[in-house]
Amino acid sequence: MIGTFDYVRVGSIKEGCELLAARNGGAVALAGGTDLLVSIRNTGRSPDLLVDFKDVAQLNRLVTDNDAGAMIGACVPLNVIADNTVINDRFTALAAAARSVGSYQVRNRATLGGNIANASPAADTAPALLVLGASVNVTGKDGTRKIPIDKLFTGVKKTSLRAGEVITDISLPPVGSRARSAFLKKQRVKGHDLAIINMAVSYDPDAEALRVAIGSCAVTPILLPPVNLSENEPIDELAERLNDIAQAAISPIDDIRASAVYRLGLVPVLLSDLLSVLLAPEGGAR
Amino acid sequence: MKLHEITLAVNGTRETLSVPAGMTLLELLREKLYLTGPKEGCGAGECGSCTVLLDGRPVTSCLVLAVETDGREVRTIEGEATDGQLSALQQAFIDAGAIQCGFCTPGMVMSARALLERNPHPSDDEIKEAIAGNLCRCTGYESIIAAVRLAAEGREK
Amino acid sequence: MSATKYVGQSVPREDAIPKVTGTAMFVHDMSLPGMLHAATVKSPHAAARIVSIAVEAARALRGVRAVLTGDDLDYRLGLYVQDKSILARERVRYQGEPVVAIAADTLEIARAACDLVEVEYEVQDPVLDPREAMEPGAPLVHPDLHTYSYMKGVFSPKPHTNIAHQQKIRKGNVEAGLAASEVVVQEHFYNPPAPHVPLETHAVIAHALPGEHMEIYTSAQSPYTVRNLLCHSFDLPHANVRVHVPYVGGGFGGKAGIQLEPLAYCLSKAAGGKPVKIVATREEEFGTLPSRQGLHTDIILGVTKDGKISALKVKYVWDAGAYADYGVNVGRAGAYAGAGPYNVPNCHIDSFVVYTNKVFGTAYRGFGHLEVMWGVERAMEIAACKLKMDPYEFRMLNVLRAGDRTITGETITPGHGRPDKCLEAVAQALDWGKKTTLSDPNKVRGKGIAALHKAPAMPTYTSCSAIIKLNEDGSADILISGVDMGQGTYTALRQIAADELKLQIERVHMTWECDTAFSPYDWQTVASRFTFMGGNAVIDASRDALRQIKQVAGMALRAAPEHIVCEDGAAYVDNHPDQRVPYEKFALGYTFENGNSVGGPIIGRGRYIAQGLTNLDLETGQGLPAQFWTYGAQGTEVEVDTRTGEIEIVDMITALDAGKVLNPVLAREQVIGGVVQGLGSTLFEGLRFDDEGHLLNGSFTDHKIPTAKDIPRHTQQIFIETPQPDGPYGARGIAEHPMISVPSAVANALYDALGIDFNTLPLTSERIYRAIHEERNDS
Ligand SMILES: Cc1cc2nc3c(=O)[nH]c(=O)nc-3n(C[C@H](O)[C@H](O)[C@H](O)COP(=O)(O)OP(=O)(O)OC[C@H]3O[C@@H](n4cnc5c(N)ncnc54)[C@H](O)[C@@H]3O)c2cc1C
Ligand code: FES
Ligand code: FES
Repeated sequence: MIGTFDYVRVGSIKEGCELLAARNGGAVALAGGTDLLVSIRNTGRSPDLLVDFKDVAQLNRLVTDNDAGAMIGACVPLNVIADNTVINDRFTALAAAARSVGSYQVRNRATLGGNIANASPAADTAPALLVLGASVNVTGKDGTRKIPIDKLFTGVKKTSLRAGEVITDISLPPVGSRARSAFLKKQRVKGHDLAIINMAVSYDPDAEALRVAIGSCAVTPILLPPVNLSENEPIDELAERLNDIAQAAISPIDDIRASAVYRLGLVPVLLSDLLSVLLAPEGGAR
Repeated sequence: MKLHEITLAVNGTRETLSVPAGMTLLELLREKLYLTGPKEGCGAGECGSCTVLLDGRPVTSCLVLAVETDGREVRTIEGEATDGQLSALQQAFIDAGAIQCGFCTPGMVMSARALLERNPHPSDDEIKEAIAGNLCRCTGYESIIAAVRLAAEGREK
Repeated sequence: MSATKYVGQSVPREDAIPKVTGTAMFVHDMSLPGMLHAATVKSPHAAARIVSIAVEAARALRGVRAVLTGDDLDYRLGLYVQDKSILARERVRYQGEPVVAIAADTLEIARAACDLVEVEYEVQDPVLDPREAMEPGAPLVHPDLHTYSYMKGVFSPKPHTNIAHQQKIRKGNVEAGLAASEVVVQEHFYNPPAPHVPLETHAVIAHALPGEHMEIYTSAQSPYTVRNLLCHSFDLPHANVRVHVPYVGGGFGGKAGIQLEPLAYCLSKAAGGKPVKIVATREEEFGTLPSRQGLHTDIILGVTKDGKISALKVKYVWDAGAYADYGVNVGRAGAYAGAGPYNVPNCHIDSFVVYTNKVFGTAYRGFGHLEVMWGVERAMEIAACKLKMDPYEFRMLNVLRAGDRTITGETITPGHGRPDKCLEAVAQALDWGKKTTLSDPNKVRGKGIAALHKAPAMPTYTSCSAIIKLNEDGSADILISGVDMGQGTYTALRQIAADELKLQIERVHMTWECDTAFSPYDWQTVASRFTFMGGNAVIDASRDALRQIKQVAGMALRAAPEHIVCEDGAAYVDNHPDQRVPYEKFALGYTFENGNSVGGPIIGRGRYIAQGLTNLDLETGQGLPAQFWTYGAQGTEVEVDTRTGEIEIVDMITALDAGKVLNPVLAREQVIGGVVQGLGSTLFEGLRFDDEGHLLNGSFTDHKIPTAKDIPRHTQQIFIETPQPDGPYGARGIAEHPMISVPSAVANALYDALGIDFNTLPLTSERIYRAIHEERNDS
């Protein structure tokens, strides 16, 4: 027995939200359980009730459309995202980030909603969602609202979700036809491990927009302020410029996986590798 | 403690049981159905010894609640051989020398089984990806990878 | 020797079918009617005095059947030094040490009851660094050490210190040797404590029976040692204790002695004789059950200008943790093997095994040799480099050869095996001397090589026995109590017996459960000595059975036994190969047509005892500690990303002088498994503690082991076969060896790649990154 909680499988968001509200903190949402059940096991502290949202149809949709972006239900397992062709083509960073979470077995359970609701500083999908400008659709007893992803994370395992609110979908705005994104993660072993550092970059040559987000280097994943791209700036100079911005924006700590020094040292490497993936096809300079 | 009645198919057999919400699928299999093939090596999703197929997909059954499997289909190592005949995959594990202490083997076989069902001709990297969540302390994995390759090749014939 | 039919062939394992179908029964899977489950309350502190323990609330919980504290258990246990209580008494010596144990109807109740226990501690300053623990005035982990009993003549705990054992090796005159040296290398090396991580955690079921009897089912490596230690601990006759060992899900040394068995028994007794099961959680496996000891090595190595080793002076300081367990013997073995497979004319080694307030150490695959060879093989590399000699040539010049004398005074003979051939084979396979250059400016390659050796560390009187019984159908069963926990020994023993009995291998079987009531004595399944000693015992038993077979076949065929030939499970008179009598006709006795019967059930009895070993002189370490030495070498090519310090093992080659490869596939598997386990120790494994002695990485989330994605791009296994004169078919043990020089080979390759010396394990990408950056900043 992993805990002493009770369990309800709900058929609708409304039903689930009412339960969460009625139990006033004693009930928590259950998605894949890969964070929640581990934490119950490790701490020995059980909520009263787990409200399983996985059967709610809306939360399992993955709708993609080349023009209209993508809409990913909160309970879509990460493997489904990692295997989706459109996500791989258009929102490459997210597919790669999803694929980098845990093991294959874990990804069959772990959901996108759970990954961000859990709000670990190391959550792998977070940097990808940040550079893709995702918004998080949430529903609570008082209705629904949209939270821009960069307003979701407020601290270690803390979000701006209000009590009883659940994430229903994550929507990704459409990307330009030449837009690209990529994700990289450094870990201690090549097999499943949490990130020492993870990073996503998106780049749209038509919009002259480049976004960088870094995880596992502060209390929340960090989206760097936008940079102005100058004509014909060589990749290494751009990488250096971004590195300066990044070093100022992040505040990593020493933990069991790595020291702050190492994390800071990996930032320019990841930047340069990601930029070469995204920018190099056009010949070294943009 | 409140019990939930659930019905699931385990290796093709319908089972109806009453379980507490806090019971994991691994506990259900091992302690209620006496299917002790799936093992507990960590109870935290990290080692893969408890891997079973839930609706055809490999999951770590230590992180699945028994109640969550109501109406679902579960396959364990016990369902891999049919009528006492080893599956080609099991035979490949033996032929490739992929078994030492055997504690990881049931989970490993189930991960490999799921891989071959979704990708009958995996590359070595795809095999590694599929079994990276199954820790093995004995074999160094090389012969396990060879076993899965062998099973995939056998299928071609 | 006549040609063999099975020995030397890749016979598949009999245990593969139960394992691949999930039907193999581990203790983990077993239960008995009425069985209780147990959990423990563990110390949150590394060092503290226990002020009080309140268990009333726990006892009152429904379903709780027994609650025990240290005060209830007035026993002191220990393999070599009797320093350990079943539950902590008066003080706790490491974080994670069990203080209270509770057996209940379910595990949930037992755990809930543990939460109700209140323990008051008076926290004390822990001593965590074994070097500091050796200093006068250091807090004592065992203030009563002078009152403990220990194995005299072999170990030497120092009263009123933290030193559990000091092993000395003295050969020649080390100061004179150093004075005559051209190059002197002086370096410090470090290995952290590291966990075994068997996939099956420790598990035991104990059943206390009336009349002080007990039945134990345990995931252990050594059924007879479990029995013996239980009898000694509880002062019981051996007949009262029966130990069963079914399939074991990996041991690696961590299950060599006794761990949870005494506690499970005491709980069962306290619960009125209901059987009690204890299964360690993964976190307990990391933090409560023993690990490999850490090691600090201070080496001074002197080499003459023509590249000959002239002197070696080493101080090994082992971090025993809170209890001595096997650790003192690791310190002893590490000392007598502490010069590597080299000819060292002048040697001075002090090996100290020192108590600290950390989880205690025990045997771990390699038994101190991975740790020792880390220092020795790194020092050899540094010396070669200082001499501007090729490190391979340097090793070849100094490696032990027939006629040389080891540091304990043993003379190397042609039957000892050939470390030089191993080195040569590895160098050749690695294309030694050829540098790989890469187009990627951020990546560099390097090659490294390291030698290794290891002998079984075992008492001089170590023995093994086997019984072979013929069945009605002429098949044979081998009874033995060494454990096959996956290493494949049982398959090798079947091969040996089939050849010796002249019986088809399909008709030779092992019993996959050791039971001290039926399986004949074996010392322990440790030290890579089971195939050697078990093999010799099985040969002896088979020959005994074959003698009986020939005798009764002779009567049946009316010929003298010496004229009987046996083949494929049948006997015939030498000049009549066409008139065969199958074994089943006389396995239980032969019956003539008129009903007269002769012979009787055939049972072969075999045994083996270590030959000629001596205790080591306590002052000089001189003596014969080794039944045999297995030599080897490992070589690797690594690729380093100089920006991140990440490394990739491009190639990993292992050559071992196995004497005789009994089963090529099993031998190869064993080596690959050991290499990858060794890579874990090399690249990322090791326990880490904070300043207060709290374990920081006691879970799979925080402590990683290699996964399928972490294996080398390519591996190769080479076996040299210089027969061991007293080995079964010339074989030596090879189980532990593949781990031993993986770390040093990798670090030597890193030096080749980067020109940076690494002296501390593990070689995490961060450590390499930092070293590269410091180097850059320095220059
Ligand atoms: C072995 C292992 C390896 C892992 N490796 C990684 C890794 O490499 N990278 C990584 O980022 N993570 C990793 N994780 C953590 C975990 O798998 C992911 O964070 C996963 O995405 C969580 O999703 P879930 O559906 O399992 O969430 P759950 O565990 O079900 O829920 C997590 C939290 O989010 C809340 N929640 C879930 N869904 C919603 C919702 N729709 N609305 C509001 N709140 C919700 C829950 O109440 C809970 O507090 C690993 C976990 C394990 C066990
Ligand atoms: S027991 Fe489930 S993953 Fe380890
Ligand atoms: S065979 Fe022992 S853990 Fe894999």
